[in-house]
Amino acid sequence: MNPPGSLGILEDKEKERLSTPILGPSILSDNPYERIQARRLRIAARLEARRREALGEYLDGKKESEEDQSKSFKQKEESRLKLAKLLLCGTELVTNIQVAADIREIHRRVEEEEIKRQRLEKLENEVKTSQDKFDQITVRWEEGKQKRIPQDLWDMLNTQKAHCAGLIEDKNKLISELQQELKTKDDQYVKDLKKQSDDICVLLERMEEQVKNVMKSFRQELNYIEKAFEMERQDLLTSNKKTWEQALQAHKTKELEYLLNRIKKVEDYEKQLNKQREWDCEEYNKIKIKLEQDVQILEQQLQQMKATYQLNQEKLEYNVQVLKKRDEESTVIKSQQKRKINRLHDILNNLRSKYAKQIRQFQEENQSLTSDYKHLVTQFKELQKAIRHFAFIDDKRFREIWLMNEEEAKDLINRAFDVDRIIHTQHLGLPWTAPDFWFLRNVGPISQQPQRSATQILEEVLLQTEEEGTEEAASEAESYLDLPKQISMKTTRKILMLLCDESGFLIESKLLSLLRPLERSECYLLKLDAIFSALGIESEDDLYKLVNFFLKYRVYHSPSSQEQTSLTLALDSGEQADLKRQKEGSLVEGEPEEKAPPSPTLIHPNEVLKILEAFVMGLKKPRDSPTPVRLVKYLRDNSKDSAYWEALATVIPPATLNLWDALYTALEKYHVVLTQRAKLLMENKALEQQNTELQMLLQQYLDSKINSELHVPPTQVLRVPTK
Amino acid sequence: MQEPLGTLALSALNRSSVSTQDKSSTVAQASGTAAQPPRPSNTPPPSKPKGWNSRAGVSRMRRIIAEDPEWSLAIVPPLTELCIQHIVKNFQNNPILKELLPEHKQKVLDLLSPDLPLAVTANLIHDESYWRRCCTQRWPVCHVAKHGGSWKHMFFERHLENLLKHFIPNTTDPAVILDLLPLCRNYVRRLSVDQFLPPVKLRPPPRSGDPSDSGSEAELEEPATDHYQLGDLVAGLSHLEELDLVYGVKDCGMNFEWNLFLFTYSDCHSLAATIKACHTLKIFRLTRSKVDDDKARILIRSLLDHPALEELDLSHNLIGDRGARASAKLLNHSHLRVLNLANNRVRAPGAQSLAYALAHNTNLISLNLRLNCIEDEGGQALAHALQTNRCLTTLHLGGNELSEPTATLLSQVLAINTTLTSINLSCNHIGLDGGKQLLEGMSDNRTLLEFDLRLSDVAQESEYLIGQAVSANREAARWQTSNPSHFMLAVSAKDSENSAG
Repeated sequence: MNPPGSLGILEDKEKERLSTPILGPSILSDNPYERIQARRLRIAARLEARRREALGEYLDGKKESEEDQSKSFKQKEESRLKLAKLLLCGTELVTNIQVAADIREIHRRVEEEEIKRQRLEKLENEVKTSQDKFDQITVRWEEGKQKRIPQDLWDMLNTQKAHCAGLIEDKNKLISELQQELKTKDDQYVKDLKKQSDDICVLLERMEEQVKNVMKSFRQELNYIEKAFEMERQDLLTSNKKTWEQALQAHKTKELEYLLNRIKKVEDYEKQLNKQREWDCEEYNKIKIKLEQDVQILEQQLQQMKATYQLNQEKLEYNVQVLKKRDEESTVIKSQQKRKINRLHDILNNLRSKYAKQIRQFQEENQSLTSDYKHLVTQFKELQKAIRHFAFIDDKRFREIWLMNEEEAKDLINRAFDVDRIIHTQHLGLPWTAPDFWFLRNVGPISQQPQRSATQILEEVLLQTEEEGTEEAASEAESYLDLPKQISMKTTRKILMLLCDESGFLIESKLLSLLRPLERSECYLLKLDAIFSALGIESEDDLYKLVNFFLKYRVYHSPSSQEQTSLTLALDSGEQADLKRQKEGSLVEGEPEEKAPPSPTLIHPNEVLKILEAFVMGLKKPRDSPTPVRLVKYLRDNSKDSAYWEALATVIPPATLNLWDALYTALEKYHVVLTQRAKLLMENKALEQQNTELQMLLQQYLDSKINSELHVPPTQVLRVPTK
Repeated sequence: MQEPLGTLALSALNRSSVSTQDKSSTVAQASGTAAQPPRPSNTPPPSKPKGWNSRAGVSRMRRIIAEDPEWSLAIVPPLTELCIQHIVKNFQNNPILKELLPEHKQKVLDLLSPDLPLAVTANLIHDESYWRRCCTQRWPVCHVAKHGGSWKHMFFERHLENLLKHFIPNTTDPAVILDLLPLCRNYVRRLSVDQFLPPVKLRPPPRSGDPSDSGSEAELEEPATDHYQLGDLVAGLSHLEELDLVYGVKDCGMNFEWNLFLFTYSDCHSLAATIKACHTLKIFRLTRSKVDDDKARILIRSLLDHPALEELDLSHNLIGDRGARASAKLLNHSHLRVLNLANNRVRAPGAQSLAYALAHNTNLISLNLRLNCIEDEGGQALAHALQTNRCLTTLHLGGNELSEPTATLLSQVLAINTTLTSINLSCNHIGLDGGKQLLEGMSDNRTLLEFDLRLSDVAQESEYLIGQAVSANREAARWQTSNPSHFMLAVSAKDSENSAG
């Protein structure tokens, strides 16, 4: 750290440095501005000094506050501030000259402007006056031209000349003035030049001085900083040395302590060792004695052991003898056993071969039996076929016989009815009403409603719908055929059409090509046939199921959920059975319940496939076990037959029969009367005939020519009625 | 070995010491020193024959000659050395440089003479040390820093400047300069010509007789005084960035005539076309050339929307308000960062138009209007413009007859503006009250680093206090740049300082 004394010296130096260049120009020049400037600089320097003092204080304050910052840093800061100030002052000093020149130039310009303005005014005045004079002179010339007298003319010319001379004089004066001014300006220019060169000289001087000063002070500051660094380093070194020495001292003392401790410990350990050794010796002796005692005991024991050993040896020898004997015995037994084993092995082999043989035999038997079984199965099948065939034929025959008998019966009945009717109408004169019984309308065996195939129904449906336009009422009447349920013909048809359009993929392409030339309805028919065959729909019920399914499906309205469709399927199957049962009743009643069927147009074509899939899934389940049922189905019940036939037999009630009996007796009597009457009528007739014949003979006679020839003809006498 | 030692003892004592040294060197070489550095080998040859002769004179014994202790293999220059010397000798006719190895190349460059024709060296040699030699040989004072730190650039720039300075139109062959163009086009960045010679006068003697009439006569001959047209040259210099021109004559002495310093209209037009065509130009200076309003307008019109121009210096001319208005227009039609119109004739209207342009300008950093006469009206307009401007950092309004009203406005500006770092109001009539107001403005300012109020009739005290505030700002700025964390400390320190002052 540089001492405060040196700082003071530096300040003094700086003051000198600042004052010396100021004094130069202020003394040399008599320019007021420069003097002012010099004074100003002096004041500035004073202020600077004051400020520096303040700064020093401030720095001191700062030092206290920032104890942590190093001396060198402070020195650096200080130097930097000092140098910055120095540079600032220096540049100010140097630029002062420029500023002074500037202001001089400004003043010169102002003055110049003023002078210029005056000069211009003056020139203008001059021009004006001279113009006036010139005008006077020119006017005079005019006057002069009129003058004829030479003296006057001469005078006038003289005066004119004088005037002109005056004018010229004025002008010359002006010119000389201006030239004078120019000269003074030249002088001033020269002066200015000199001044400027002086200025430049001063500038150069100051610059050099500045450079020198700055170099000097920079060097000085550098020295100070270096010194500060050096001192700091020294301090650092000394402090480090101190700490180092302290550390060393501490280390030494610690080392000593350690050494003493160590010695003490060594002694302790030695003592301990000695103690340990003594104790060990004692213990050793003790153990030795004890061990010797042990040895004695052990020797005694050894003797005892030896004795027992001998005893044992003898015992063992004896045992050996015994064992040898036993061994011999066991070898004998072993050989016997071996032989036995061999025998048993032989037996086992025999049994095995037998067993294999038997297996072979059984297999053969099995094969033959299976072939028999197969044969029997085929036979059974054939038999079944034959049975079916016979059943069918029986059925047919039964039907035919039934029909024949029925026909016969009906003929008889009809005849009876006819007779009855005739009796009633003709004999009794009563109105006759034909009795209306269900069995009269029955054709074929009862309860054997012909199972129509799906295609037939289709055909019907389609044909009917074709005719629908013309005879709607008829279809309405006939609807009992197709509408056992709540489905109208139209909806069925629409659903079928939809199905036909949507599930074209089920039809073979060949079929399609074949179908093309056919009519529309036929085409549909064939297509649906193909589709149904593909779906496995055979019977009428299936078809209705399908249609119903479609409608239900739409009603349940949740096409995507599989669960619900299955549920509906279950429901369907249940309902279907009910409907089936209801069917006959409804057939009799002939009144299909008319529910408002939901329009099938609401079924979206895209859903058709889903519906179909669900339907096929549902249809397959009940189809698994229908074959045995079907056989049973064909066993028709004969219960009603006898009643039927009874009914047929007793179609004419006994009251009528009684009537008939009574009538019969009455009629017998009536018949007798009638026969008498008929006899009488016959006699009557014969008499009439005789009469006519006689009349004819008479006529003949009358008409003959003899009559004419006779004068008095008999005719005139007789008065025969003329014809 | 005994015998030569004996004879040597006869000759001289100092020689013996040399000989022992030589002997040792010979011994060393006997062991095989093919890789002896060649540099020492250069020096011995001249000394060898001398020694030979002196030796012969001292003792006429052939044996001794044969056993010459100074003789060494190193004396014979290696073949590479010979080749290099040959290359250097014939460099002008057959310049071989690029094919050489780097060490040999360096050697050749060290040996080349700086007087070689530029046509050979210009595009071949890029070595700085060679061009340094050329420069130091030609000019005693060399400031490389002014030429971008490159000696080669410096050489070509100064060479070209020299040619231009001494070019006399109609007498000097323009090919002199244009021939140089292909050689120097890549190395000239900066062209500073402070003299343009006029064409040679037809009747020089009579005119020198009467200097008083020269002004009027020069006007008569004006059309003939066009200077060299820079157009062709500048178009050829593809890297030109700085153009510093003074249309005047230096050292005319007693041959002074007014028309030596004429910047004619045709000069002006050609110069305008030249700078317009030069798209790389960044700095353009045309000072001390009597540029009046019309010429300034011609020049500035050509500079409108110039892609690169950053600095325009038209100081020490005769530009008035119209020229100032043109430059104001230029401010908003270019990327100009520095504008210098010092020592012109700009008055209040010109300053007002400049202020109008400045109000919304975002490029200009420095504006110099020293030694004009913008007066309070212009000063107030500029102060108003500074209230909205956020770019200008340096403003020089020295010597502009400003007074108190401007100072009041400026004090308001000082309180608001945070970009200005330097203001110069020296040589004005600010007055005592103005100084106080400026001081008030300064009390709120934390960015101004320089504030010049010399010779402006401001009270000593206020000037001093302003100076203190400025120095405090400077300290703060320094603290902030060196370590931002100590900024608060510096601020507090400054406060304490202020209280102390």
